[in-house]
Amino acid sequence: MADKTKKQGNFAPGDAPTYESVLQCMRCGFCLPTCPTFVLTGRERSSPRGRVALARAVHEENLDFTEALKQESFFCLDCRACTTACPSGVKAGEVMEVCRSQSHQVFPGGHLSKSFRNFILKRMLPDPDLLEAGMLPARLYQRLGIQWLVRHSHILKLGPDWMDKAEGMLPKLDAPLRGQLPEMTPAKGEKRGRVAFFLGCVMTLLYPDVSRQTVRVLAGQGFDVVTPAQAKCCGAPHMSEGDRETTRELAKFNIDLFLSQDVDYIVTDCAGCGASLKEYEELLAEEEDHARLELFRSKVRDVNEFLSEVGLRTEELQEVKVSVTYHEPCHLCHAQNVSAQPRQLIRSIPGVEFREMKESSWCCGSAATWGLKFSEESQQVLDRKLANVAATDADYLVTTNPGCHLQLAWGLKQADMPQPVIHLMELLGRATPD
Amino acid sequence: MASIAAIKQLIDKLGAEKVVAEKEDLLTLGYDSTPGLLHLPEVAVYPTTVADVQTVLGIARDEGMPVVPRGSGTGLSGGSVPHQGGVVLCLNRMNRILEIDEENLTATCEPGVITLDLFEAVADKGLFYPPDPGSQKISTLAGNVMENAGGLRGLKYGVTRDYVMALEAVLIDGSVVQTGGKSVKDVAGYAFKDLLCGSEGTLGIITGITLKLIPPPQTKTTMLAYFDAMPRAGEAVAKIIADKIIPSTLEIMDNATINCVEDYAGIGLPRQMAALLLIEVDGHPAVVAEEAAAVEKVLRSVGAAEFKVARDADEAASLAAARRTALSALARVSPTTLLEDATVPRSRLADTFAEIERLGEKFRLKVGTFGHAGDGNIHPTVLCDERDADEMERAHAFYHELYEKVLAWGGTVSGEHGIGIAKKDYLAKQIGPAGVAVMRRIKQSFDPQGLLNPGKIIAD
Repeated sequence: MADKTKKQGNFAPGDAPTYESVLQCMRCGFCLPTCPTFVLTGRERSSPRGRVALARAVHEENLDFTEALKQESFFCLDCRACTTACPSGVKAGEVMEVCRSQSHQVFPGGHLSKSFRNFILKRMLPDPDLLEAGMLPARLYQRLGIQWLVRHSHILKLGPDWMDKAEGMLPKLDAPLRGQLPEMTPAKGEKRGRVAFFLGCVMTLLYPDVSRQTVRVLAGQGFDVVTPAQAKCCGAPHMSEGDRETTRELAKFNIDLFLSQDVDYIVTDCAGCGASLKEYEELLAEEEDHARLELFRSKVRDVNEFLSEVGLRTEELQEVKVSVTYHEPCHLCHAQNVSAQPRQLIRSIPGVEFREMKESSWCCGSAATWGLKFSEESQQVLDRKLANVAATDADYLVTTNPGCHLQLAWGLKQADMPQPVIHLMELLGRATPD
Repeated sequence: MASIAAIKQLIDKLGAEKVVAEKEDLLTLGYDSTPGLLHLPEVAVYPTTVADVQTVLGIARDEGMPVVPRGSGTGLSGGSVPHQGGVVLCLNRMNRILEIDEENLTATCEPGVITLDLFEAVADKGLFYPPDPGSQKISTLAGNVMENAGGLRGLKYGVTRDYVMALEAVLIDGSVVQTGGKSVKDVAGYAFKDLLCGSEGTLGIITGITLKLIPPPQTKTTMLAYFDAMPRAGEAVAKIIADKIIPSTLEIMDNATINCVEDYAGIGLPRQMAALLLIEVDGHPAVVAEEAAAVEKVLRSVGAAEFKVARDADEAASLAAARRTALSALARVSPTTLLEDATVPRSRLADTFAEIERLGEKFRLKVGTFGHAGDGNIHPTVLCDERDADEMERAHAFYHELYEKVLAWGGTVSGEHGIGIAKKDYLAKQIGPAGVAVMRRIKQSFDPQGLLNPGKIIAD
């Protein structure tokens, strides 16, 4: 967060990386081997260390906020692998995220990508039959981050053949889950607490069955599950495209909504949403009451983190005889530092054989819209992942984030590989008796 | 200076995809890991063949343009910083492991191979490449050779130079020299490869490296000891060696570092302790058992306050956690982290720590020290803020006085980081005018125009 009165070198007024956040880099280079775009290009400016150096140069007035820096800020996958690797606590991904918002200030205008909008509107909606049945009221759709992307994607430059890829990636669409889930799903067995479920946009639209399982698993584990129907998008798509103001509005709304619920925890099954919710505190640090932000932050949990923390009740779990490997979503392992917990859960399910893959925390190349903007590079990042999946020869590929899910399922299909992709909650759902 | 004509020639002869001159590229190729250094080159090239390197040197020679080789830019003395402009020769795309020869126990590589990639490739064949500089996950082999990089295993296994069997280098006149080979013994003529090791790109550009491999140790034992007084830790180090045990790891951390690690990681380190020693012995199981017992005996005899032996790999990893976290913990304390590598004869280790403490107080600086105790090679790390000119001045005065003491004790101004730009003056003090003069004559005979990484190592 920038102090708006502070001089920010050659950065435009408004959100800009703080000088401290870039000065902290000691240029050790430990981030370089963890960065997918540096590994692809071998070019220092496309590395976390290089990007931070460019932001620093803008601060020190050695560089204008150039088109090339704008490109670098969007070429960064924001996978945060560099944050994990950095000894001195530099968050290069966040620095680039803020630079994306600078891009809007420095290069205003641009126009809506019509083909993108049409694609979303025509292809991503379920069958007209479903519409007619009133399963997707328009007002519901308006709250989704996906619609925002359509409306505000001034600088969303898509790669060649993106539409084929996007079309190929879409799973078979069902009715959105929002509106179907009861406001309250009661705990089963001995009650252990009461949680709010944050249902993400992509989850409700593309993976309703996954989140249905999540709620079922949570209830089966002894928690009353409250799902507030009014919840808005977590703001991750807006943040990712550089619109920090809209993200702040959404954050304020969601904080109000969820703090008004009488719950012990706020749980989500989308790693992207979880990372975003956990960053509200920092995003609103200068505008909101600190105690409220802290309270909200203290309640947010990724579902894997949550179940591992409260302890999985395994007595009643049914055997699931499959072998699985696990892909770590960047926004879970790097952005939230949740890495051991999903493995613990997998190992606790009776019958499941867990096979660790190499480089499990290496990005899959999805990264919000990155995979559509840089489709060639995305394919190269994906190929590396698929080779590691293939080497495990596991029956299933487990992950816990819809962006990864889409990319991996598409990649596996393209490569003619046998593994279905499933969310960890689907696996746990199979083990949970009715 | 690189003229526009020179850049055009580079593009014509190498192709546009190998030449970059955008400001964003130049800004990010003007530094390495040395704090405070940034100098923009005028152009950078990414050669992929020996012929490309020859082409660049030819154009440089005709244009009188400095040439600065660069691997991954993780050096700690400014070796790859183009402080006189010119062309940066980025060798990281020449990154193929050409051969692993299991009969002769050698590996032959292009210059840009990542150190850890080679380690893993030879480990797959049951072999071992020991040099493990702190940046091994990204440092390049040619960078290691040019700086003669060390690492945690230096005490028992030596440094990069000890593993270089042959080098291929392009000289500024365009000729290619092959020096050394796969023969274990080789005393034919001047030892050019030894001269090239640690020459920081001032004599020639390395395009090929043949390294010695060894069989890996069969097992290891990890131990951790705490001391309530630094002299006792120094005594432990000296006695372990005097007992004719050469541990594979003998690492030290001082009280300030212990506390920084505890602040950052909260792993339950005893904050009051003056020092921590991490010790590993490796080799044949019988030898390891015997050496571990002997180390334990030494630690008891010098009065270590606490002492642990890892029973398995997990426990070994947890004992090593503090040392592994040292740099991260220190680097988070302040914006600027100055990391030096003073090295003394082992018998002076405790004196050196005492001197660091005294100077830290004298100059009112926050200093954490860790390093390779067994090598007498330690990293007094000043945690400061480069925006504070007065503090930076005090930090430099701190190192200045420390190095005077180190030299008086028969130590060296660099154990493993090289001289580059940062330590030229210290080196001149260490080797004297006669030493500098002979270095200058050597440089002159390899590079009469003074184009290869000019201004490095040798004081002006």
